Amino acid sequence: MEIFWLVILGLTMGIIFGVALEKSRVMEPGVLIGQFLFKDYTMLKMFLAATATGLVVLSGLTALGLAELHPKSFVVGNIIVGGTILGAGIAIAGACPGTVFAQIGRGYKDAWLTVIGGIMGAAFYGYNKSLIDGVLDMGSLGKITYADLFPSLPFWMLGIITAAALVVVMIALEMYRPWKVDRGMDQNNDASASSNTAHA
Amino acid sequence: MDLLRQNVWSPYLAGMIIGLLQIPAFLLVDTALGASSSFVTGTGFIFSLFDSSITEIKYFAKYMSKDKYFWQSALVIGIALGALISYKASGRKASFSSASWKTIGASSAPVVRLLQGFIGGFVLLVGARIAGGCTSGHGISGLAQLSVGSSVAVAAMFAGGIVTANLLYKRAS
Repeated sequence: MEIFWLVILGLTMGIIFGVALEKSRVMEPGVLIGQFLFKDYTMLKMFLAATATGLVVLSGLTALGLAELHPKSFVVGNIIVGGTILGAGIAIAGACPGTVFAQIGRGYKDAWLTVIGGIMGAAFYGYNKSLIDGVLDMGSLGKITYADLFPSLPFWMLGIITAAALVVVMIALEMYRPWKVDRGMDQNNDASASSNTAHA
Repeated sequence: MDLLRQNVWSPYLAGMIIGLLQIPAFLLVDTALGASSSFVTGTGFIFSLFDSSITEIKYFAKYMSKDKYFWQSALVIGIALGALISYKASGRKASFSSASWKTIGASSAPVVRLLQGFIGGFVLLVGARIAGGCTSGHGISGLAQLSVGSSVAVAAMFAGGIVTANLLYKRAS
């Protein structure tokens, strides 16, 4: 595809992504951090729904031979240390590398500083990549997937089974704590518009 | 467009929509949804204004030349546009920082929010680039491909987030 159309496609998909992030309130710092404090389960629910849907989609596309998977390599030291640092960053910033752009769109001025910090962070890693990767080097297990661990099952079958298991988890979670409990105040348009609260 | 005027959608609906975005990502771009690579692309082009030798660093050169990273950079700009459309449609107002900081007992003082935002953003991207992906790439996309590495990354992400959040914030009710 030509670069012009790739950019148009990216913008279009991003707009849909951004609307979903804003409407679900997953881009609010209090919602993301609230999940880490286990006082708000919105993020986990959205995350499970996106993963389960993705599993069904990719099961279908691969079974029909329409798409190839692109799993990331399991570089042991980088994944464990980087993942932990990323989690700490989410808790400090109240944002993920994707949701911070939804915060900018939502009109939160402080999110611009998060993006600037992120650019500096990406520069810090980029300029010191060989040093950092060298320190963290614990080998790589390659692009391994759970489907590789169960060679008797094709990816699409394991994908559908996992998606079904995630649906069960979501049902249990919803019975334990309905999503409207966490988003209670946001339901009322008038109250929310006048007090300008996203989550209070 | 009644749905767009609503203040809140169920997290399940939002998650399903995001999951369905994997269809155009895999079929048309031959890649998975992600966000943090775009920071390397942006960094590369911004820093190239001051450091013309940055394109000689293989890591930056890769993110400044491949088509899929231009697609992803457009995606994150689209995320901002989508959130803008969404909050305007529901009739709420912009603010310096999110009112939700109050619910976790954090300060709303602009200087605190700016400083914490900058530090948080730095830590966020150092971690994401070391791990080779973020909540989208390792989280939503990695788990949807049953990647073993991504599942460990997500576990580490939650561990780091839970510990840090409990150290930084109080459980205000």
